[in-house]
Amino acid sequence: MQGEQTDIRLSVETDMKFLPLVLSFTESSSRIFGLEDRDALKLTLAGEEVFSYLCRMTKDPKPITLTMVNGFYYALLRFAFDGIDFDLRAFNLTADVAPDEEGLDEMGLLIASRSVDRMTIFHEAMEGTGFELIKEKTYPAVEPWKGEEAPGKDGLSLGRPDAENLKVFVRSIAGRYDPFIYPQDFRYPGKVVDMVESGEYGVLVATDRKGRIAGGMVWRSSGPSMIECYGPYVFVEDGRRKVGEELVTGLISAIGRSEAVCLMNRYSTEDLPQGYFEELGTIDFVSNGEKRPWHFLFRQLKEDPGCRVYADAGMEEFLNSQYKRHFLAREIVPVRYEGEKQNAHSVFGASFQHSQNLVVLSPLWDGADARENLARHIDALRSEGIANILFRIDLGYGWHARLYPVIEANGFVPAIIIPYRGKADYVFFTLRG
Amino acid sequence: MPVFDVPLNRLVPEYIKKFEAYIPSRPDPELMRLYKVDHLWRLNNNENPLGPPEGSARIIAQFPPKRASIYPSGDSWYLRVKLAERFNIDPDQIIFGNGANEAIAFVIKAFCQEGDNIITADKTFAVYEWVAEFSGFEARLVPLKEFGFDDEEMLARIDDRTKVLFVCNPNNPTGTYWDEARLRRFLDTIAGRQIVVVDEAYCEFVEAPDYPDAMKLLDEYPNLVTFRTFSKMYGLAGLRIGYLAGSRDVVDVIRRTCIVYSVNGLAQEAALAAIGDEDHVARTRRHVNDEKAYLLRELAGLGLETHAGEGCYVMVRLPMSDTLAYRQLMAKGVMIRTMTGFRFPNWIRVSVGVHEAMEDFVRGLGEIVSDREVVL
Repeated sequence: MQGEQTDIRLSVETDMKFLPLVLSFTESSSRIFGLEDRDALKLTLAGEEVFSYLCRMTKDPKPITLTMVNGFYYALLRFAFDGIDFDLRAFNLTADVAPDEEGLDEMGLLIASRSVDRMTIFHEAMEGTGFELIKEKTYPAVEPWKGEEAPGKDGLSLGRPDAENLKVFVRSIAGRYDPFIYPQDFRYPGKVVDMVESGEYGVLVATDRKGRIAGGMVWRSSGPSMIECYGPYVFVEDGRRKVGEELVTGLISAIGRSEAVCLMNRYSTEDLPQGYFEELGTIDFVSNGEKRPWHFLFRQLKEDPGCRVYADAGMEEFLNSQYKRHFLAREIVPVRYEGEKQNAHSVFGASFQHSQNLVVLSPLWDGADARENLARHIDALRSEGIANILFRIDLGYGWHARLYPVIEANGFVPAIIIPYRGKADYVFFTLRG
Repeated sequence: MPVFDVPLNRLVPEYIKKFEAYIPSRPDPELMRLYKVDHLWRLNNNENPLGPPEGSARIIAQFPPKRASIYPSGDSWYLRVKLAERFNIDPDQIIFGNGANEAIAFVIKAFCQEGDNIITADKTFAVYEWVAEFSGFEARLVPLKEFGFDDEEMLARIDDRTKVLFVCNPNNPTGTYWDEARLRRFLDTIAGRQIVVVDEAYCEFVEAPDYPDAMKLLDEYPNLVTFRTFSKMYGLAGLRIGYLAGSRDVVDVIRRTCIVYSVNGLAQEAALAAIGDEDHVARTRRHVNDEKAYLLRELAGLGLETHAGEGCYVMVRLPMSDTLAYRQLMAKGVMIRTMTGFRFPNWIRVSVGVHEAMEDFVRGLGEIVSDREVVL
């Protein structure tokens, strides 16, 4: 239950004399929140590196608050502070830190980021400034299941499943669908239970009169304005279309008054009813060496008020054609680099989806080395055998849009616009050829 | 550079952090610029296409600018006196607000505290649910039954912490209503234990003889509160003026939470002039009835499912996303209300407008639907 989520806080100063306390706090809290020994030690190591780094960055000790958050399927360690400057370069996937005295500062962050599942920087009015480190629990893999008797299609009732029915639902998906069309979290039923418990996923299932699960839909927030949904997963043999439509309308009704502006369907099934989503476009996706289309389906949940987007001149033709095709009211503001001073180093984020052999790169920090840095990322990902490399920018940020020549020079072409996915629309690029 | 950072993370309550602000649509000229159209029919807010009654129009046209520097009556005194006379109640049984929306907040603030809940329908005017939730109270939503409020299920959801039940009568957007017998049964069952709000924003459009007038029930049911507005039938939406009425004791409590001076002087005078203009009501009803009949006929011709009850609006089910249809219609200069937010995905609500607007809407929607058929 969400009500059981208890944060644990520790307030100290950026002084190495507090390090033992920080280590003890992190390790003990990790175990309380259910991390196994190995995972708890990794998070503790990451916490040690970040704390040591922040101590090195401050001449005089500054107040810092550590918070451990029980995310049910993960433990999150947050460092929140004010007035500490740090170099973000180590956040690059390809960060290569020189083993000398100067490189030591960033080496710590590098070690930290590789020890956890996710490490992010935040700087928000509501949240303050700091780092978040997330270490996920380890779960047993799903055992695919397919009941002997197909559920009925009539008299279905829609609702949220309890933990055991949720696991049955997850196993049934694995038993009937290609892993390509369900989220990788669904390879671990226990993890899904914890993720639903923490509010990260929403699940709606249709149950027949005998209590058998006839199908379901899954969704999760993807940023403040977007919800991504998966499915509908339908387990009946006859009347699949009807069940699919009931699930889709049930989902839309459930989230229709949420703060989200848009609903995406990135893992649709053949039971998705017509007329509920718009196709934004298709990306050719490489799976097991074969190209297959990946349809980006979307619908708005609110009336489109129109918005302003930034764009380099090289992108305008693409944007205009897409906005016209989708009837999206946009005011395009031109941007370009005009010789102004830049940071020396850029930072790109890399989001991995291993089940799809996919990485999405995105800009985190502008810098003069952006072109070379992006080229290094592509090389590194190719050498790791990643078949699908996408790049995305948020047209709500002028500096993202200004990166277009860098993106284009590295072989990317604009492919899909996702309205209101970020501050404004996202544009996804695919690699040419 | 600001002198201070505001520690919003510490200042903002958790339930407000979770709540997203409602963003109203942009002003018409902005929308017309973005959608590249030279006109825009507003068929999204159930506004009266005939405008305000003649008396109100005269007051607005002749309002002396100097009066803008004078504070209005803080509690809409003359309006309350005139309405009290009309409804045969005491002026102190009435509270005015800056639109009836403000009255919703007054009632919830007056009766709910931490842990309390309100009950309403899932597919109705959203503001009851929103005000409850951003105030930190649970909104229990009962699914509509055959497009109408489900009285039995609403009663079944009451518990010790239920303070207010909201019934939209007729319901926006479905136009269904409870007749007097049904409303009385509901009130009799509750027997004064909770506050029952009957929102009658569209009551002046209803001509059915069995439609109840909540004003006439106030004496019998001291827990009953009714909302009325000058925004719909009386065409004063731009001036924001509405009111609530209830028993003296209940209204005395609500008055403790209400904001005085929130209704401007021009709105008060225009509303005063509107009261009792039966000719305006009759003309508006005739217009609404004629145009609704036209709409329903034309939409049936397009092969579209519709739902229309009481009120100045019609629901239309589309073979496509309502939000896509909104953008496509906007590009044709027609603004309608999408209904995903009402939990009716792929339905739109269209307000009755002037005939030319109705024709443009039908033509535009017809093109959109037939283009889609070609694509399919």
